[in-house]
Amino acid sequence: MAEREPVIGIDLGTTNSVVATVQGSQPVVIKSRSGSNLTPSVVAVSKAGKMLVGPIAKRQAITNPTDTVYAAKRLIGRKFSSQHTQDALKVLPYRVHAGEHDDIRITLGEREYSLPEISALVLRELKADAEAFFGRPVKKAVVTVPAYFNDGQRQATKDAGRIAGLDVLRIINEPTAAALAYGFGKMIAGKIAVFDLGGGTFDISVLEVGNGVFDVIATGGDTYLGGEDFDNRVIDWLVADFQKEHGVDLRGDRMALQRLKDSAEKAKIELSTARETQINLPFISTPQGGGAALHLQKTLTREQLEAMCGDLVKRTIAICEQVLAEAKVKPIDLKEMVLVGGMTRMPAVQGAVKEYFRRDPSKGVHPDEVVALGAAVQAEALTGEGADVVLLDVTPQSLGVAIAGGYVRRLIPRNTTVPTSVTEVFNTSKDNQNTVKIMVLQGEAEAAHQNELLGEFILTGLREAKRGEVEIDVTFDINSEGIVSVSARDRETGQQQSIQVTASGGLTEDELKRILDEQADMLLEARAGEELKKKQGELKALAKEVTELIPQLQEATKGSEFGQDAVSKANRALEQANKAAETTDLVKVTESIDTLTRTISLFKGVLQRIGR
Amino acid sequence: MALDEKVDIDEARKKEILELEAKISSPNHYEFLGVPSGATPEQCSNAFREASKKFHPDRYFGKQLGSYKARLERIFKRLVEAHTVLTDLQKRQAWLEANPLIRAAVRAQTGTSGVFRVGEAPSQKSDEEKKRDAERAARLARHPYLAKATRTHEQLARAREAIAKNEFSQAFTFLNQASQMDPNNVEVKTLLNEVRKKNEQIRADASFKVAREALERQDEDAALSAFKTAVGASASHHEAAYQAAKLLERRGADPREVVAYAQKAVDAAPDNAQYRLLLGLQLELAGMKALAKKHLDEAVRLAPEDPEVKKHGKRRWSF
Repeated sequence: MAEREPVIGIDLGTTNSVVATVQGSQPVVIKSRSGSNLTPSVVAVSKAGKMLVGPIAKRQAITNPTDTVYAAKRLIGRKFSSQHTQDALKVLPYRVHAGEHDDIRITLGEREYSLPEISALVLRELKADAEAFFGRPVKKAVVTVPAYFNDGQRQATKDAGRIAGLDVLRIINEPTAAALAYGFGKMIAGKIAVFDLGGGTFDISVLEVGNGVFDVIATGGDTYLGGEDFDNRVIDWLVADFQKEHGVDLRGDRMALQRLKDSAEKAKIELSTARETQINLPFISTPQGGGAALHLQKTLTREQLEAMCGDLVKRTIAICEQVLAEAKVKPIDLKEMVLVGGMTRMPAVQGAVKEYFRRDPSKGVHPDEVVALGAAVQAEALTGEGADVVLLDVTPQSLGVAIAGGYVRRLIPRNTTVPTSVTEVFNTSKDNQNTVKIMVLQGEAEAAHQNELLGEFILTGLREAKRGEVEIDVTFDINSEGIVSVSARDRETGQQQSIQVTASGGLTEDELKRILDEQADMLLEARAGEELKKKQGELKALAKEVTELIPQLQEATKGSEFGQDAVSKANRALEQANKAAETTDLVKVTESIDTLTRTISLFKGVLQRIGR
Repeated sequence: MALDEKVDIDEARKKEILELEAKISSPNHYEFLGVPSGATPEQCSNAFREASKKFHPDRYFGKQLGSYKARLERIFKRLVEAHTVLTDLQKRQAWLEANPLIRAAVRAQTGTSGVFRVGEAPSQKSDEEKKRDAERAARLARHPYLAKATRTHEQLARAREAIAKNEFSQAFTFLNQASQMDPNNVEVKTLLNEVRKKNEQIRADASFKVAREALERQDEDAALSAFKTAVGASASHHEAAYQAAKLLERRGADPREVVAYAQKAVDAAPDNAQYRLLLGLQLELAGMKALAKKHLDEAVRLAPEDPEVKKHGKRRWSF
């Protein structure tokens, strides 16, 4: 039997990404071709116009701030006009602008990229690492996203996978994946909490684990709370201080901003182990109109950092309280407490978590790798025969419809196990109302317009009657692939309308197709180019052989007419071959190869006969 | 038959799927989860998790499933519903309220002492018998008469559930459905009547509240129209009628209009002296002396010590 197709799990992180697989019933991280477990989620176009991904891209970020994209995950699937995006733009040195449908585009080098395309570059890098590991093509993958990502963000991540040439089996939540990796193969039974503070997002999930079943009870989080925000606090502090001292706003200088970001992150990481650290940025600014260059030199202590970021830490705990309450679990009821994400190395975070959960976090978990390992476990569980694991995941946000008065009626509350299906009856709100507009909303806000609009449709041809008399069955359905469909049916006439809510990740289906086609073309060209090169090489080798054979033949057939004829023919063929070798026409090249091959065999035949 | 369909599921599991699917329309969540009536939330969760190992669609990911794909989705969604209801105190109570038969079974199972006896009823039947039961139930459910009765019953159950949650407009909808299917069902009729009244009451109360708020804002126009709406919604809302009448009186409206509302108040609450008094005085103004006297007399009879009544009543006596 053929070996089973390899499957991988990918943690597409804000700052770093990891790829893993299950080998011999153990999840393992696949090292990158450069030998590291983490691949920075950074994409850049070098000054020479070369596309760079991962560590090389990260290394050149300081010297190339406008053409280096990092933390793309914070923008993926978001609307350009949203407050979050606008806030993020203030600190991003690369060029971000609005796309056609309020999506976000990034200019990199000469070209404009959508967010899924940027993330696809990172995914493709990971895919290539996995292919190098397995020694054969890899297509199937489970990709993780923060639990609190909405449908648009999930869809955008899926699109990125598609662009990268991956068959994304499933998108699963990061804390769930962490729990899967943590509980896989262990005899744990009970409730566990996963506290996931990563580069860009915060998630907390409570699961009940036992007997191979991972049942998510509640999950919550904030997609704009992570290491980047901690870094930004440090940057703010440095910038404000510098402004006070020298009257120069460093934010205006993209290069300076990139350097600040770099050293802020470094300082933050150092303060997880050291009590204080130096931030040294010589020549950070050259005043306009001459004058000595300015340097930035500061000492940052752990206490200072903790004071700057205290509210961020508090926010994580507040969300924990809320989610535990929803799960109807007290901290004391938890069997285990798992910390995930690089930010959980910060002593202030660990302290706050310890105080709230009243226990030490579980050991033996690598906070950077556990999510990818869990994704690999789920990929294996889906495709393999062996892994005896079921994941009962939930909807992270409520789904409902807009009702009269601008309110929302929630049909599927958050933390409902999926797949699920719910039907409720609605009435008309006006006399003789013969159409209703069904607006499908996602979110927790009371007012309809504050929720994410996933889609809408109109049910027409209702019976004309007094308000409240016409009844409409509205059904929400989330299938096992996570696809939401909504249908509305007039109970009396049986008139029915439905939509499959395909959340937009920013790219329309047409745009996505175009990108995929472009890529297919590029691949085809690349492949054709390779073949051409090979044939041209072959042709050149043959031509050389013929050129070498001609004098021999002339020598051997001196005086004979046959010899003259053959030599002139061979010369003509050579001439043609040289011409063909100049072109990129594969057909002509192939023809010339044939002619030369025939000439050679003819020459060799003649030489042999004469020699005899 | 579905059992013969060529899919990547072994025969035993196929059977289990078909059997459970036959129970999908049963309103009994305990039965569907395969736990005894009155099982604890923990038992329900455990049963749900065990069931999901067999029936979660992910367990069959990428397999050739044919019609079983949809079956598994349906079963799992139903399992989620059963689990959600049984592990949420409020939802479970509303559901039991709406299904008296199941509630009785729960009482019988758990006993008055409150001590729970684990898993008795279901285990007493052999697998063979259970299968036959399921088949019988499925066959019966397909019969047109029973199907109708089941649907009526379902709607009724939903309505009860809604009533228990105080969602009367929902309940009204369900009952309307039920009465369309079975217009002679006495239970449906009575409930419908009750709910209709309750519904009117709620709407009237809401309008009344709005009116009160408007009065506080000194927005008399809005208050008046809200009081009138309240009276329109429920004829039995005497206070709204009285307030409407008072307000009209204060604003110097035509006494006949005031009388109309005062009359409504008196009709709804014949034993209220205040209402009688207002009605009497207004009738007098409108020139209907005889009627006025009748109501004023009644007011005095009802509350002889009330100073207001005394004042107006006295004057009348002196005539």
